[in-house]
Amino acid sequence: MLHYQYITPEILAGKVMDLQWQQQQQQQQPQQNYLNETQFSDFSQQSHPTMQQFQELIDNDPTLRELTNRTMKVDPCSENGWPELGKYPIPRTGFVSPSPSGFATDSIEMMGYSISRTASSPPSVAEEKGRESVLTASSLGRESFKKRKMDKAHNSKVAAEDNKEKRAKGDEEEESKITEQNNTSTTTTAAANNNNSETSGDTSKENSKVSEVQKPDYIHVRARRGQATDSHSLAERVRREKISERMKYLQDLVPGCNKITGKAGMLDEIINYVQSLQRQVEFLSMKLAVVNPRLDFNVDNFFTKEMFPASTTSFPVGISSELANPAYLQFNNPVQQVVTCCGLDMAINPPEMTIRRTTSAPVSMPESFLDSSCFNQVQPSSSTWETDLQGLYNVESYQGRSTLFPSQPLSGTLEAATILKMEM
Amino acid sequence: MNRRWITKTTHLCNISVPFAMRAPSTFKQELLKRWLQGLQLCVSSSKEMNFLERKKAIKLSADVVMASARAGKSYWSYAIISNALKQEESKTLVRNILGTEFEKLTKPGMEAFTSHKRVTSRSILRRSYISCRIKKIAPKRVQASSIAKRLVKKRTKVLRGLIPGGESIDEFSLLEESLDYILSLKAQVDVMQCLIEVSELLKDKSY
Repeated sequence: MLHYQYITPEILAGKVMDLQWQQQQQQQQPQQNYLNETQFSDFSQQSHPTMQQFQELIDNDPTLRELTNRTMKVDPCSENGWPELGKYPIPRTGFVSPSPSGFATDSIEMMGYSISRTASSPPSVAEEKGRESVLTASSLGRESFKKRKMDKAHNSKVAAEDNKEKRAKGDEEEESKITEQNNTSTTTTAAANNNNSETSGDTSKENSKVSEVQKPDYIHVRARRGQATDSHSLAERVRREKISERMKYLQDLVPGCNKITGKAGMLDEIINYVQSLQRQVEFLSMKLAVVNPRLDFNVDNFFTKEMFPASTTSFPVGISSELANPAYLQFNNPVQQVVTCCGLDMAINPPEMTIRRTTSAPVSMPESFLDSSCFNQVQPSSSTWETDLQGLYNVESYQGRSTLFPSQPLSGTLEAATILKMEM
Repeated sequence: MNRRWITKTTHLCNISVPFAMRAPSTFKQELLKRWLQGLQLCVSSSKEMNFLERKKAIKLSADVVMASARAGKSYWSYAIISNALKQEESKTLVRNILGTEFEKLTKPGMEAFTSHKRVTSRSILRRSYISCRIKKIAPKRVQASSIAKRLVKKRTKVLRGLIPGGESIDEFSLLEESLDYILSLKAQVDVMQCLIEVSELLKDKSY
């Protein structure tokens, strides 16, 4: 069912846009048409300069501003695109994509589409047109919905229409998403229609290559318009799409991969990332070994007294199993501290850090220092560690926060650093 | 580059990826708990350890715990455990850490995962490919697509080396496993950092 919801709003959007385009062309406003087209093509690329244009456009035109406010209100409800369609004049649909990163940009994009559609006509007229088009589009959508349910022959026609529309939009990314969803929908429809002997749904998550012919299950794939339909190319296409889907998830996971589109580049980034994570684990385990010379993480005596009176996280007096809880409490803090403090580059920027630290709890102070030193250590330059730490503590004392940082931590960590050096 | 990585970590921990853990913070908590128990076992069993031994024990226990936490759902976890079991010095430690799950995890069916049969068949295949390539001496024009394919193949080979157990699985599941593995590694790093902070604090306090 979910897949149907994915598919039909797009058809609706496509149909609405077609209708709107026709209406606009009939009106004698060629200049604004051109403007809309450029906006359209601009918004189809998701880049920042277009957002600026978008902003300028909105600011310049008061009617547009009104429209944006309206569409802004529509936005939050747009995820359940299907039931909400009747209510709002401008059909706000999303290309609801599985990858979460695309969602935000998609919503902005769709706003752009809706704005550009109605830019040429005054708001009231646009509303009416919107309603009409929504009704017609929804009826069309329902028709196609029913068609899809009943018969697969009709599906190919709708798919052909889909493909035409998609080419009109000319956005590759959406096309791949849509066709992906198409394929998933075909697999689900295949599963739904048990009468057909050829087909049965097979989830792509399982380890099945289509080339293994011994299996009785096949993955039913619809041939796209203008592509070869023999089994080899279909199987290859399925394989490629599986891989690209996984690549997308990986792209979301590995930072800095938004701009890399090829498989080889992505693999490179993944490799680098895994290597760096493994190196981090190595280093952290080394550090733990240093910090705790007897490996006694026996924490009975850890929480007998309150550590810092001013601390926000209070450690309960407890048994070792309760170490977990205070440590968990720290999870939120340290993680965020890690986030903020490791926004620093290799060269530590002490003033920046101290400014940030003024707003945080005192308990987190030493953690942040350690984290920054820790992340300096990711690159193998242990010699700079001591000097950086010293620099940090010096700056801190200048800032007059020396009450919480007696000289003992400094000596303790220096000692640790010397131990590390000797052992390494 | 580090900056964006770290910020992404916290951001992505909230995004649900289908075949990874649902709630990363609870996963981390579980990891921490298990790891502390494992480390206590580690201490109790042994003598005076020097620095490197300590480090190895820490890392090993962390890995084993991470693997046991993802045991049912991923392949690399079995690979880690079986590799650890192969080495003599870590066998008992692993056994103690895994405890009751040990029997479940080392069923004969699971051992088939890391069977050497697949690996050897792969090497045979590779040799045959190489010999075929040598036979075909006809020089062809180097196409961009073939270069790209070669690059991808090289990199998948490297990735297989990185991910535990990656040598004997196919490309799809390699990507899936790497996804899972990356998430677990991130959680492990966070847990370790947290523990370091706590111990540092306590050490300062005790002075």
